[in-house]
Amino acid sequence: MKHIPQERRIVERMVPGVLCLEGFLGSDPRSLSEIIETDRRALEDIGLDCQSVARRLEKVYEIAVANLERPVQVGTDLEAVHLSAMGRIPCPWGGCGLWPKGDVVLTDRTTGRVYRFTALSMHLIGLHGFFQGRGHRYRLEPDEIARLLGLGKEGSQ
Amino acid sequence: MILMLADTLAKEAAGQNLLAIFFAAAITDNILLTRFLGMCSFLSISSQMRASIGLGLAVIFVTACTGAINAALYWFVLIPLERYGVPASSLQLILFIVVIAAFVQLLEMVIERVSLGLYFALGVFLPLITVNCAILGANLFLINKNLTVFEGFVYSAGAGAGWAVAIILMAGIRIRLKTARIPAALEGPGITLIICGIMALAFIGLSGLIK
Amino acid sequence: MRELQIVLIATAVVCGVCTVLTVLLLLAERFIANYGRCTIDINQGARRLEVRGGSPLLGTLMEEGVFIPSACGGKGSCGECKVKVLAGGGPIAPTEAPLLSDQQRTANLRISCQVKVRNDMAIEVPPELFSVREYQAVVERIVDLTHDIKELRLKLIEPGEIEFTAGQYIQLKAPPYAHNEAVYRAYSVASPPDEKDHLELIIRLVPGGICTTWVFEHLTEGHTVSLNGPYGKFRLSDSDREMVWIAGGSGMAPFWSMVRFMKAHNIARKCTYFFGAVRKRDLFLVDELRQLERELDWFTFVPALSGPAAEDNWSGETGLITEVVDRHIADGSNMEGYLCGSGGMIDAAVKVLLKKGIAEDCIFYDKFT
Repeated sequence: MKHIPQERRIVERMVPGVLCLEGFLGSDPRSLSEIIETDRRALEDIGLDCQSVARRLEKVYEIAVANLERPVQVGTDLEAVHLSAMGRIPCPWGGCGLWPKGDVVLTDRTTGRVYRFTALSMHLIGLHGFFQGRGHRYRLEPDEIARLLGLGKEGSQ
Repeated sequence: MILMLADTLAKEAAGQNLLAIFFAAAITDNILLTRFLGMCSFLSISSQMRASIGLGLAVIFVTACTGAINAALYWFVLIPLERYGVPASSLQLILFIVVIAAFVQLLEMVIERVSLGLYFALGVFLPLITVNCAILGANLFLINKNLTVFEGFVYSAGAGAGWAVAIILMAGIRIRLKTARIPAALEGPGITLIICGIMALAFIGLSGLIK
Repeated sequence: MRELQIVLIATAVVCGVCTVLTVLLLLAERFIANYGRCTIDINQGARRLEVRGGSPLLGTLMEEGVFIPSACGGKGSCGECKVKVLAGGGPIAPTEAPLLSDQQRTANLRISCQVKVRNDMAIEVPPELFSVREYQAVVERIVDLTHDIKELRLKLIEPGEIEFTAGQYIQLKAPPYAHNEAVYRAYSVASPPDEKDHLELIIRLVPGGICTTWVFEHLTEGHTVSLNGPYGKFRLSDSDREMVWIAGGSGMAPFWSMVRFMKAHNIARKCTYFFGAVRKRDLFLVDELRQLERELDWFTFVPALSGPAAEDNWSGETGLITEVVDRHIADGSNMEGYLCGSGGMIDAAVKVLLKKGIAEDCIFYDKFT
């Protein structure tokens, strides 16, 4: 399937080794627009949109960064730690500026599951609705992360 | 309106044969909607209006020019060679492809030199066009129709214009589709193909009006 | 026989047409796509380059030894390689447009990897970029400083010496090693400038980072690497104000260079170095710095842990580095602040220093993040 030239340029930058070693699409066989569309619907089903998830992630990010690598409680059973890194990474869409590297690692103590995101992840989710490809380290399942952060059906009930 | 105009023009004025050829190629014999050529870029690019217009213009230009060049190649090189027993039809496919590819390359260089503005507007689409089967299709049909070089130019310009009209129409429809609730299974190319089929029904009704 | 004739003629026709087209394309390349010799005027006559036109400005300048820092290596995605183009830049390409704000456009900034040299040009670059050179170096030593920080000691081969000031950085080139393309990444020099034939870098692993992963997993002693530099305005000021240094992680590098430079040149300027980490395992070079603290009466080293584990047996300062700075400094009105670390740390440190009365123009940092 041919891509629109603009989309092709984005996907080319998402390939492993261009902007970062693992790229952005993980092992996901779907096309970029398909990934974005599916995730948007998954959120829509629980009455949410990407911006609200991104905003909540930003709050967690701010707390984690302010604690300079020291682990910090961000919810009843949720711990966040910011692993800082030097350098900035551009958004694959281009023209959205540069985003500081460094992961925020979220640990759900009840399940032991670990979620990772970066400043760029939040931008990708908020502006482009892109939660990254499945199988990627920074992939967040939209409904799962929304639940974890107390958004969506459970949060609104 | 345009259809009626084309029709009457074709019936009334045999002298305005060229105009008839153009409108026949563009409307009644629309290369995309009656022959389903050039579907690949049509399906993916039509999701954006700006890109559709750009690609449409590039296709018109390249089809028209390669149509003329290939018609000349056919009539002035391949036909004379038939004397030696080489059937022109056996060589036209491979030569037409090569000519189109080379022409697009050449065009890219010329546009970059002559007008940077035009280059930036069309530049990204030119590599896509090399492999657009609508262009090759138009080039081959004009041979089937026994058109001369100039007629061939007009015919392929019309075919290109028809392709452009179809993709721009589709882009317009797809803008509306964005707010429509479509069954998940039909998202993207699926619904586009269905719409394309409905559009084709409308156009097929006109096919053969102008011979 | 007749079949053979037909086949031969058909082949000849196809070959003939292809040859004609090839010649046409070659001619076009020779005459249409040939932009001839172009002159690039840099900084109003400070330098004039005679170059072959037709290639992107960034690469053309690089070939002539003028290095513009660029993170993505000319792919038009990072927007770092901005250059002021005063004349001859042509219209803004669609690949540049999203990387330039309106303000930058009116300031004539362009993305140099996306601007082709098509005619004579006039550009402006910071003059310190003229002293930037490309170096080849051999990896002499790789030491683990912590579980995720390594020290890289390089011996320069060609050219054999580098001039820089303590605090500046270089760009290390990571070659293609997996499925990546070559990239350049910036690292502060940790060695003192007096040692002209060696460079030490302190590198912390960035998960998924192209260059750091290469350093950590592929680079071994004896390897040859390429780098260019020096860049950056982070350096000791000319004043004699008391200094506060604040760093975390690989932000150690410039200060490790500065303190050894000051020792070598007997610059006895009062200075307190705050170094923040979470646990003891994240600390490094502590013994060396404590030793310097004993030798130099103007130098104080304050390592601090924000979350020491029980087994760390930590008796030193605890708390976020900003809290420790807050406790140690009473009046900063006649002090200067020097910062190196992640963006979050720098933002927090600037806030504390301002609160302590240090003037905004007396706080220095190179923000890599």
